[in-house]
Amino acid sequence: MANLPRSNLVLGLLTLAFAVLLLFVWIPMDTQTGLMEKVRRQVVIGDALAPTVAALFLILGGGLLAVVERNAENQPRMSLRGLGFTAILMTIVFVGLLVMRHAGPLSVWIVNAVQGGELEYRLLRDTAPWKYIGFFLGGTFLISGVISLVEGRVTGRTVLVAILAVVVMIFIYDVPFDDLLLPPNGDV
Amino acid sequence: MGTFDYILMGIQAVFQGPALFSILGVSISVTLVMIFGGFLTGIAVGATPGLAGPVAMAIALPILISVFGYTPDALLPVMGFLIGIMKGATIGGAVPAILFNTPGTPDAFMTTLDGYPMTKRGKAKKALRVAHFASASGDTFSDIVLIICAPFLALMVEAYLDLPEKTALLILSLSFIATVIGGSAAKGLISTGLGLLAAYIGTGEDFYPRLSMGQPALSQGFPIATAVLGVLIIGAVLKELEDLWRRKRDSGTLPEHRDKGDQRLRGADVRRLLPYIGRSALIGTAIGALPGIGSTLAATLGYTVGKSRYARKKRPDAPEFGQGAAEGIAATEAANSSVSGANLIPVLSLGIPGNAAAVFLILAAESIGGFNPGPSVFRFTTDSVNPELVVAFGLFTAMMIANLLNWTVGGLFMRSMGVMIRIPKHVLLPSVLLLTLTAIYVQETRIEAIWFALGFGVLGYLMRAVAISPLPFVIAFILGGKLEENARQAFAATGGDPWFLFTNPGAAILMAMALAVIILTSRKQKDPA
Repeated sequence: MANLPRSNLVLGLLTLAFAVLLLFVWIPMDTQTGLMEKVRRQVVIGDALAPTVAALFLILGGGLLAVVERNAENQPRMSLRGLGFTAILMTIVFVGLLVMRHAGPLSVWIVNAVQGGELEYRLLRDTAPWKYIGFFLGGTFLISGVISLVEGRVTGRTVLVAILAVVVMIFIYDVPFDDLLLPPNGDV
Repeated sequence: MGTFDYILMGIQAVFQGPALFSILGVSISVTLVMIFGGFLTGIAVGATPGLAGPVAMAIALPILISVFGYTPDALLPVMGFLIGIMKGATIGGAVPAILFNTPGTPDAFMTTLDGYPMTKRGKAKKALRVAHFASASGDTFSDIVLIICAPFLALMVEAYLDLPEKTALLILSLSFIATVIGGSAAKGLISTGLGLLAAYIGTGEDFYPRLSMGQPALSQGFPIATAVLGVLIIGAVLKELEDLWRRKRDSGTLPEHRDKGDQRLRGADVRRLLPYIGRSALIGTAIGALPGIGSTLAATLGYTVGKSRYARKKRPDAPEFGQGAAEGIAATEAANSSVSGANLIPVLSLGIPGNAAAVFLILAAESIGGFNPGPSVFRFTTDSVNPELVVAFGLFTAMMIANLLNWTVGGLFMRSMGVMIRIPKHVLLPSVLLLTLTAIYVQETRIEAIWFALGFGVLGYLMRAVAISPLPFVIAFILGGKLEENARQAFAATGGDPWFLFTNPGAAILMAMALAVIILTSRKQKDPA
């Protein structure tokens, strides 16, 4: 779709293709009841009807876009560079979340290896400072990484700003509450 | 129980709820404090380019629910805070528009046209006073219309619409929202279709959760917060970051202009502005009452109508519209502010959200429970108390209190918010991203929720990249379950008539209207080439 003034046509055709796939493959194969069902001698609406209505909206929208609005003015132009930037940004977010998920258990493992203890992260996930390790490291990486990506450089100031932002979030979502768990402490 | 008793109970629920502290022996209820807090927060976020009311609502909601719990007593403090944000953000958006030529919220764009030229002429404080006066007037007018209209509309819906008509009304609303938001009927319909599809994944009545591809993570469906926050907030953050990266952010130096001469808003000014405010308030309220048409269109229409009047009435020495006319600010701000109250008419009377702020009010109501916005709220039961009706009148009271705050301290606080523009967007947005993900996690407490939200965020980003408005998606996601439930009940009630939408006269008329809306808007958008 990059740099094409006919992006409406392409988007319309892609939508139509997805709707057809939804209507003839996904819905029939992944729904146990049809459009209508007979239950205890009564005809009732089956689970396939509502997604079929969604598919009809897509067909209507895709069809209008490909036929009626295909030559509309001001059609968007998607740039591959923009998509590439967002892909890198999402990679930083993904890595940040991975750090967040594993930093806490990993630090417990290291402490056990060094001190020979038998600590379990699961039992420590609501105990400071253990419960903050993943969120702090992952959050700092995520925020400073995204700022650096936009600025095109990594600076100490960026990392300090990220640390400050994460500490503020800990004070907003965790310190005042006993019943809230910061990520990833509900899963580990 | 009469109508007056319900109104009184609603007011009492706000003023005599659990007390937070007392001043001179007078107890101050927690709801009052929350409305005040929300209002100040709203002005601050509205004045910060890159933030807006919905972002603050998204971040605040899990904290509020954690503080107040899942009991009906939590409804008024939580929703009072959200209403405060909604109203505060409306006036806050004008601050950077006037002082720095940068609209804090999209609907304040037209305010820059006359606001910034006034600032350059040394009349910044006066411009802010005009914006505040117009905004507070429009907002108050809109709320009064809401309070009068919503109960009557709800009663009419309950009295005259049966299940087939209600199903058809939902389809009409979805079609209307799809075709009028974003300027392309086709793209609105695609957005709606995707929203419905997302709502139907992992749900249904059969033992097997439909469209879940056998994945346990999908078997419970998508939590509403992940879809709403993902598409609306994360998608916007991703797109905004990409735009910032393209522009590489300007030098960051802000122009300074010194105030000169009389900055006060005098009686003569008010008399001159009132006709513009009145017209714009009517336009904004009428537009706000229709679900899906946002405050940006209201501001544009209000400005255009004001401009044509100004051309006929202006003094020869007065500046033109677009060159620093106070009437331009008044026309814009009265129009965009009067949308907010009227936008709640379809929410409270039909259960159909018309804008992002209304989506968050529904999200709060669904999360807490005990209040289901829709026609059933306005059942004036006489033998027993309808608690939902008490909450509804409590919400009306909260809105009027927020208006009172707007008239009294709002202007002062608004004029001190110019400093918010100094927060760089590219530093703020990554923090908003992590805040939103954290807000989702503390609500859902499972990592899948974060992955879902990021997935919806990417979808929201792609939708924005190809100029598809994400709002029809969100509204369709919220209404999808209700549409299916109504259709099932209507089908059963009509004895299994598959054509119930067309054999029932009322439903058939509404369906014809839905079709007409789609055809008319598509024809209008057809390229002449």
